[in-house]
Amino acid sequence: MIDRLWFLMPELIVLGGAVLCAILGVSRKVGVRNLLPVFAGWTLIIAGVVAWLFVYVPSTELAAVATEVPLPWLGRWVVIMSAVVGLMLVFVQAGLVDRVYEAAVAAGRVAFDPLRTTRGEYWVFFLLSVGGLMLTSGASDLVWLFLALELTSLPTYVMVAIGRVDRRSQEAGMKYFFLGALASAVFLYGFAMLYGATGTMSLVDIRTVLAEQVAETGSMNPLATIGLMVAVLGIAFKLAAAPLHLYAADVYEGAAAPVTAFLGFVPKAAGVIALMLLLSVTGWQEDGQLPQVLVILLWVMAVLTMTLGNIGALLQTRIKRMLAYSSIAHSGYLLIGILAGPGAGYTAVLIYLVAYGLSNTATFSVLAGLRRSGQEVEFLDDLAGLRERHPIMAWGMAISAGSLLGFPPLLGFWAKLLLFMAGIASGQLVLVIIAGVNSAISAWYYLKIMAIPLVGTPKSDAASIERVDVPGARFALVLISGALLVMPVALSDMIADAEAALREPDKMQTVDEDSGHAGGSAIKQEQPSLQS
Amino acid sequence: MPPMSLMLANQLPLYLPIVILIVMAIIFGAVNILGSHLLGPKRYGEEKMSTYESGMNPIGTARRRFNVRFYILAMTFLVFDVEIIFLYPWAVDFAQLEPGSPEAGLFLGRILFFLLMSVIAYVYAWKKGVFRWD
Repeated sequence: MIDRLWFLMPELIVLGGAVLCAILGVSRKVGVRNLLPVFAGWTLIIAGVVAWLFVYVPSTELAAVATEVPLPWLGRWVVIMSAVVGLMLVFVQAGLVDRVYEAAVAAGRVAFDPLRTTRGEYWVFFLLSVGGLMLTSGASDLVWLFLALELTSLPTYVMVAIGRVDRRSQEAGMKYFFLGALASAVFLYGFAMLYGATGTMSLVDIRTVLAEQVAETGSMNPLATIGLMVAVLGIAFKLAAAPLHLYAADVYEGAAAPVTAFLGFVPKAAGVIALMLLLSVTGWQEDGQLPQVLVILLWVMAVLTMTLGNIGALLQTRIKRMLAYSSIAHSGYLLIGILAGPGAGYTAVLIYLVAYGLSNTATFSVLAGLRRSGQEVEFLDDLAGLRERHPIMAWGMAISAGSLLGFPPLLGFWAKLLLFMAGIASGQLVLVIIAGVNSAISAWYYLKIMAIPLVGTPKSDAASIERVDVPGARFALVLISGALLVMPVALSDMIADAEAALREPDKMQTVDEDSGHAGGSAIKQEQPSLQS
Repeated sequence: MPPMSLMLANQLPLYLPIVILIVMAIIFGAVNILGSHLLGPKRYGEEKMSTYESGMNPIGTARRRFNVRFYILAMTFLVFDVEIIFLYPWAVDFAQLEPGSPEAGLFLGRILFFLLMSVIAYVYAWKKGVFRWD
């Protein structure tokens, strides 16, 4: 057994930061409590920089550890991506929790009671969940994968419930918790069958055993196949992919907008990463052959997810429900990349995750940054003519929704292009055509989201919509909008970096020489948003 | 790698002690219940048939609401519970390491880090007011 603790340094930093947030949150000084988002943001920055500069540099230790992990370099991409998007989410969520309570304390109406405050706990759960996403990428065995996925999900249930004090978010939290527990049980059951079929927990060993069984009997052990299918279906919940997508609209609508931004990215990214690691046990990195039954399952899931998501979004008038359904549709697009397989498909998935995470955070930051008599803006029509009063918000919304739609030259367009090209290259032409039709459907509502704030006629009560007093959401919106416009310039560097992140352990020696170059470029692109 | 059925067949004898333990447990339980049923004296009365509450006279029903602080306190206890669960196997392994070697230092450092984390959890509970009972 090789010591792997060093390679978990970014995760340990995030978990340590979470523990310290708990202490800061119960401080009696309001200045210390207000520092919580700053502290959480710095924790993520430090974790990202440590992963970038120190942990995932080529070394003999890493080469030794790499043989135990299906995709040893993936952690670098995932940790830095989580840190960057996580930092944007910190900006969006700053000042969200306990807004009413803190105002009452500041006005002297109530005395501060540590038992009543939840601000510290919120940031603890935020960091734990992001840490779980980072941990997922380094999973070497089934137990690790399960624990990392649970670490990602469990805090989100609480975050939904405490993000806003009202009945709807409590209800959403409850629903999310029970359905999430069910989904965890489902994929745990799949893991158990996989273990029963192979007698080992390690992903790399499972791959070896399954390959031997295939060589011996000519087909994959049926128990392992069923186990993989069940596990994939359970993980579909994290992605909000059909047939386990039904919770998404209710939960996303019930949660406060900044929390919804979080839900749209972190559990979904963890699910996609887990899917990539789990499918690696079929050995298709070597022979490119995914068992036919899994191909059919993923194909049907992708088509259903895209179509149901987009048609669902068409029918909505409430903006958060619309974005919730659209995020379901994006899971369908991501599944195309998974089906396209290791290599071009996974590369496209990694880039799509970044593009989707940033655009999604930006759209929700508009909703988080606007307020009408203390409540969130609910209907799309309420945003009509936003440009006249809040031009930054309106343009930011247009850019981010355009990126989600795949509007050239924004980052979302290139990510989608890579995804579809990888799909065609892998022979999934029908699937890509269906995805293209779905993109056309999604244009209807995305163009509405883009156009209504810019050119719509304001409703009579539009003047009552005002900006929230915390500038974080606007700041994140400006940063992300700029990044979505600028990042395509460095697209080739990003692709090189994503390919470097997907290198396999045994091929590492040959690629090591150029990793110094591949390491820097894409991150240099993301770095301005990290430091500003 | 032999076929799975063969692997299982090789491993089955390892489970024999567990089977014996289960059988012993069933026999022990059955013999005790049957024995006291057959041999013991049977005297019924109102006192005898009422709920046993650690020797006290029963007051009210058990289905009443408890103060939520009990649960929070019980969760705080879990901090120490988990600590012990980790400390025990750690101590067993630590004794096998050569004293003063770098591995031993690393091992000690890591458990101290873990203890520090659980102490912070305790401080958090304290500051949160879990032990205030007013």
